[in-house]
Amino acid sequence: MLTKDFILTKIFIIIITICLTQFFSKNCFAVEPDEILQDQKQELRARNISKNIRCMICQNQSIDESNAPLARDLRILIRNKIKEGNNNEEIYIFLTDRYGDFILLKPPFKLSTLALWFLPFIFFIVGVFIVFWHNKKSKKILKDI
Amino acid sequence: MKKQLLILPSLFFLFFLIIFFYLLIIDRNPSELPSTLLDKNVPKFETESLLKDEKFISSKEFGNEILLVNFFATWCKPCRDEHIYIKRFSNEKEIKVIGINYKDNPKKAIQWLKELGNPYTDVAVDKSGRIAIDWGVYGIPETFIVNSKGIIKYRHVGPVTKKIYKKINLIINESE
Repeated sequence: MLTKDFILTKIFIIIITICLTQFFSKNCFAVEPDEILQDQKQELRARNISKNIRCMICQNQSIDESNAPLARDLRILIRNKIKEGNNNEEIYIFLTDRYGDFILLKPPFKLSTLALWFLPFIFFIVGVFIVFWHNKKSKKILKDI
Repeated sequence: MKKQLLILPSLFFLFFLIIFFYLLIIDRNPSELPSTLLDKNVPKFETESLLKDEKFISSKEFGNEILLVNFFATWCKPCRDEHIYIKRFSNEKEIKVIGINYKDNPKKAIQWLKELGNPYTDVAVDKSGRIAIDWGVYGIPETFIVNSKGIIKYRHVGPVTKKIYKKINLIINESE
């Protein structure tokens, strides 16, 4: 007999399995074997930079994850720049000069992005005040009763 | 007084609703990104020319007169669609158009131009896509207006349509 509990457990296991496969499948890369640098340190640097660079074609992916041809070109370009002895800063500047700040997945801290960085904190503080104010009021109502 | 305050959340909601609705109905392409190259000098490059035997040297081509730069490839369907407008620029408006053949087979590109007509005064070959990266190109076709000082004045990502054709003409007339 299929009890309700049995079915629920089964559904639960299926959901967990799906979630876990999603989690592990993240480990597959778009980086192809012929792109990888011999020097492991340099390769690691390239991977770390690639993770911060937006793929301009699939805009919510980094070039490290994207299979788009432009992403591949940029990965190779970054690796070549590393081999030529450029530091990370120089590579980021090279890319933002051409594609703008948008190519960085994390927006830089600038005058024009102040609102972007600080509004969440301001909203949070306003929220805290509203909760306090609301609690005070309801306590007062309770006392009155 | 307090009862009147209760209307505030609804007002806020309405306000946001209007903003979202406005963003929804205005004519905009969310994947289109502003170019950082606007009002800057054209990137320098040297490469083979598709049609001529000599090299394509950017410093020789740019900075003399206003011209259009069009990134295209034979494998790109929208490039075929916009070709009629690119031809109109060079035939009707007599504006110099420089083509940059992006990651393409040169033989196919020459055949393509024979078949559809060649609007370009010269075509630079960008076999590896490196020149396109210097121009901040991320999706061809892309079209740039370069003024007589060699400064980029406008960039359009995607095929030139009737509307864009008019817009580009307007900008060219203004800069002349």
